[in-house]
Amino acid sequence: MSTDLCETPTLARGELQLATFYVGDLLLGLQIDQVQEINRRLDVTSVPHSPKCVRGVINLRGEVVTVIDLRTVLGMPATELSQESRNLIVHLGDELVGLCVDRIADIITLNSDVIEPPPPNISDVEGKFFLGVYTEESEIVAILNIQEVLEINNQD
Amino acid sequence: MEFEDAELVGEFVIESNEHLADIENQLLAIEEGGENVDLELVNTVFRGVHSIKGAAGFLGLETIKELAHSLENVLNKIRSEELQPTSKSTDVMLRAGDKLRNLINDAANSNDVDVSEQVAALNEVLSAGSTPPAGQETETESEPTSEVAQEPASDSEVPKPEAPPASETNSATDSAGETTAKPQSSPKSTAEKTTPPNPAKPKAAANASVESSIRVSVGVLDQLMNLAGELVLSRNQLLQAVASNERAVLQAAASELDGVTSNLQEAIMQTRMQPIGNVFSKFPRIVRDLSSQLGKECKLEIEGKEVEVDKTIIEAIGDPLTHLIRNSVDHGVELPQTRTESGKSAEGSVWLRAFHKAGKVCIEIQDDGAGINPEKLKQKAIEKGVLTPERAEQMGDREAVRLIFHPGFSTAEKVSDVSGRGVGMDVVRTNIEKLGGNVDIESEIGVGTNIRVTLPLTLAIIPSMIIKSGDVRYAVPQANVAELVRLRAGEVATKIGHVKSAEVLRLRGSLLPLVRLDRALGTASQDDEREHGPMNIVVVETGQVRYGLIVDGIHDSEEIVVKPLGRHLKDCTSLAGATILGDGRIALILDAAGIANAVGVRLTHDPEEQDNADDSGLAEQSESQSLLLFSSDPTDQFAVPMGVVARIERVTIDQIDSIGGHELLQYRGTSLPLISVDETLDVKPRPDCSRLYVIVFTIGDREVGLIAPQLDDIREVSSDIDSETFRTAGVAGSLVVDDRLIRILDVFQLAEKSNPQWFAETREKVKDEDATPRILLAEDSAFFRRQVAGFLQAEGFEVEEFEDGAAAWNALKSGSVEVDMIVTDIEMPNMNGFELCRCVKQDAGLQHLPMLALTSLSSPEDVAHGKSLGFEDYQVKMHRDNLIRSVRTLLKNAGNPSTNNQFAAIG
Repeated sequence: MSTDLCETPTLARGELQLATFYVGDLLLGLQIDQVQEINRRLDVTSVPHSPKCVRGVINLRGEVVTVIDLRTVLGMPATELSQESRNLIVHLGDELVGLCVDRIADIITLNSDVIEPPPPNISDVEGKFFLGVYTEESEIVAILNIQEVLEINNQD
Repeated sequence: MEFEDAELVGEFVIESNEHLADIENQLLAIEEGGENVDLELVNTVFRGVHSIKGAAGFLGLETIKELAHSLENVLNKIRSEELQPTSKSTDVMLRAGDKLRNLINDAANSNDVDVSEQVAALNEVLSAGSTPPAGQETETESEPTSEVAQEPASDSEVPKPEAPPASETNSATDSAGETTAKPQSSPKSTAEKTTPPNPAKPKAAANASVESSIRVSVGVLDQLMNLAGELVLSRNQLLQAVASNERAVLQAAASELDGVTSNLQEAIMQTRMQPIGNVFSKFPRIVRDLSSQLGKECKLEIEGKEVEVDKTIIEAIGDPLTHLIRNSVDHGVELPQTRTESGKSAEGSVWLRAFHKAGKVCIEIQDDGAGINPEKLKQKAIEKGVLTPERAEQMGDREAVRLIFHPGFSTAEKVSDVSGRGVGMDVVRTNIEKLGGNVDIESEIGVGTNIRVTLPLTLAIIPSMIIKSGDVRYAVPQANVAELVRLRAGEVATKIGHVKSAEVLRLRGSLLPLVRLDRALGTASQDDEREHGPMNIVVVETGQVRYGLIVDGIHDSEEIVVKPLGRHLKDCTSLAGATILGDGRIALILDAAGIANAVGVRLTHDPEEQDNADDSGLAEQSESQSLLLFSSDPTDQFAVPMGVVARIERVTIDQIDSIGGHELLQYRGTSLPLISVDETLDVKPRPDCSRLYVIVFTIGDREVGLIAPQLDDIREVSSDIDSETFRTAGVAGSLVVDDRLIRILDVFQLAEKSNPQWFAETREKVKDEDATPRILLAEDSAFFRRQVAGFLQAEGFEVEEFEDGAAAWNALKSGSVEVDMIVTDIEMPNMNGFELCRCVKQDAGLQHLPMLALTSLSSPEDVAHGKSLGFEDYQVKMHRDNLIRSVRTLLKNAGNPSTNNQFAAIG
């Protein structure tokens, strides 16, 4: 199983820093170098005929950035935005994409040795969206496979 | 071998190298695709080679042409899936590609090089079909070249379409048929295996290799430098102003910054603008060489060399235009014998015109050749499975002619090496659409073909109309907006009709399909209560369709910067991009053509339905005039011909000042002189109202406004106009619309009456001229004849009046009248204006006469058609000022023949 993890190109070996955040009850992590910034421009311009998972577009200092609703991608029920909702702006190739998440948590530092391969599903979310999991004292951090999450094909 | 034009060859070398830059990678990717041929990629390579062949052909580089032609043949087979690429055939193609590059880089000596070996190898591949050629000797003989072929493959990272690591092991088993061939080309395949998997798609690699530079005059650069300095100063001022916290200072700094920014923007745009003549200059030679090669006689006439467009467009337009011109000469213009037999002059003409139209650049390539037979095209399309017979049945001729742009579509009876295979038109369309432009074609059998390419001036900033649907704002590129129509609540029921459940708008005698924007975007709310409120319609126009877009509100127009949408939104075909508005919010840019496709707006109407619309009481098309109706007092109704109206402004009464007995409108920082009907005519004074309309028209360089307290309608009326009863200065005539008497105003006389000094200057100029010019006027409507004659006589011309083209022509032919120029209506009984023009222009004794066409409202197509027949100019009937000016210019040019014949001299 661990060979699978080795072959995924996006998870580096050695020491990792993860930005963690909640979507629903799920604590998720992203490698920090994939995240450009976190903001709260939640007032999006919706785009007609866009895939369901697209919340809309925002103006990020002159760039038009697509905001993806992570809940829809992961198959969770939609909820209202709250005071704590945030956009994570991530790099996808040469494009910036926003991920709408429910709440921002800590930045954690860990060694790749402690990362385990993802189970087939985590809280009813398919395992393909994750690169691995890391168990903290009380909680499980699931590391997102950003390529898979933003794959155009699974938008509907 | 010597070349007259080293620059052309230089360009050819650069261009061809661009085409060849990625050929190894592309060929390898094609090979890897095996059975699943990536047609897009094959097409890309094919087009590149095709372009090289074409250019080499006209430069007389026979060897390059020969090799490219053979290579193209093989690619064509692969494209049509008759030949499956194998490693052997790819080797042969790679070697041919290398040879081609060597030849091109030493183009001057290329004709002395022997390429029979490569050509033979390619032909072998071609004839062998899918079986690889035996080619033992070629392999050994051309050892050095084969090394060259493989080297680049191992240097560069071979981009694979989708190369997950697992596929390597699979491919050996999947394509078992091919594995036997693989070991032979071992150097290459090992090279592939050692390269790390590269997720980049081949397209990205292809784009990256195109790089360009621009030459900027030192003057412009100095100006930019200067402005940059100003910008720094403005920033400092602004910072200080913010620190001082004084509003007045802050405002001053902001307006300074505003000015500098616009200047800077303009200057930067200017660095990118170049005259289109840079591209056009190479075409006369192409036409000359090509026509002599084909045994044809053909001249090229170029107009509009000075039109400036963005550098990116200049660079990208060269290839498509070359294709179009070559097509016109090759397929359009007939052989001299055929031409004389069908009663045309032996020498064919190709016109290349560039002009600005509605914020876009139009380039027209027109020939007077055989035209395209739509039936033949349909037949071909059915044969090739592009079209079902039923669809072909329904298709109009105009639409059928457009089939020529379909990929891989060809009508050429035999493949020629000049421009065959119909590939050119396909390339043209793709390249032009890539630039955000479009291309359209019109053709008449026996008369000729006209191809019109429309391109944006620049790719960066576009003027747009901001509209609203629901609470969301969208931008519609101004270039797509033809007009805005607002229906009052009461009018909706009468103006909107239904044709087979689709809504249509009755607009000036024709039916316009309607699209509700909120429904098209899927944002419509459930209740349709708004149907009974007033309705805003944006009439949009793309190359192919024209329809009305029903929106919830219309805001201002704004210059917007186009930003691309992210990859998740690539499938939203109704959108062309996004932009950021002044308040920082995003507005999406609507794609008029995309919306039309999405909701299925039909391209053409049933002629039957169209007839019904005409029957419903609207004027017959031939002799109608559109009038803007307005009223001052309910009892006093007036009309102004739409042709003279520049635009209409809505103003409040406090914007109008009265100075020295004249009214002035304070307006965009300047003042606009106003005239009013109650001031000059015997009518009741206008009622007090806080808001009124101002109809703006131009006299010379001056804008003048006519106060219209209440706008009523725009109507098409037949020219059933009584020019006697109310005849006074300022009134041209009267007519009855809906049982009301309406006076038609002559705004120029009105203006002259109140402000004679505006006309004093031009009058004096006429008196300087010695002989009184005589003008022939052909016009069947007595009303217009009297009007136009009046205009001309008032300017001191002598006018000979005729009531139709035939009468005018008889008088001209018999020599009973001698005139200096001809002014004619288009729609006339017996002989219409087009026929008259044709007769005059074919008569050796008369063809020097300048001809001016008069029309009620001219569509661009009419203007183009008229100009192609030989009309020097086109003017709107009731626009006295423009008419007079045009007459003057034409008379002046006629007296100075050198300007008249300059195009002929070039051709």
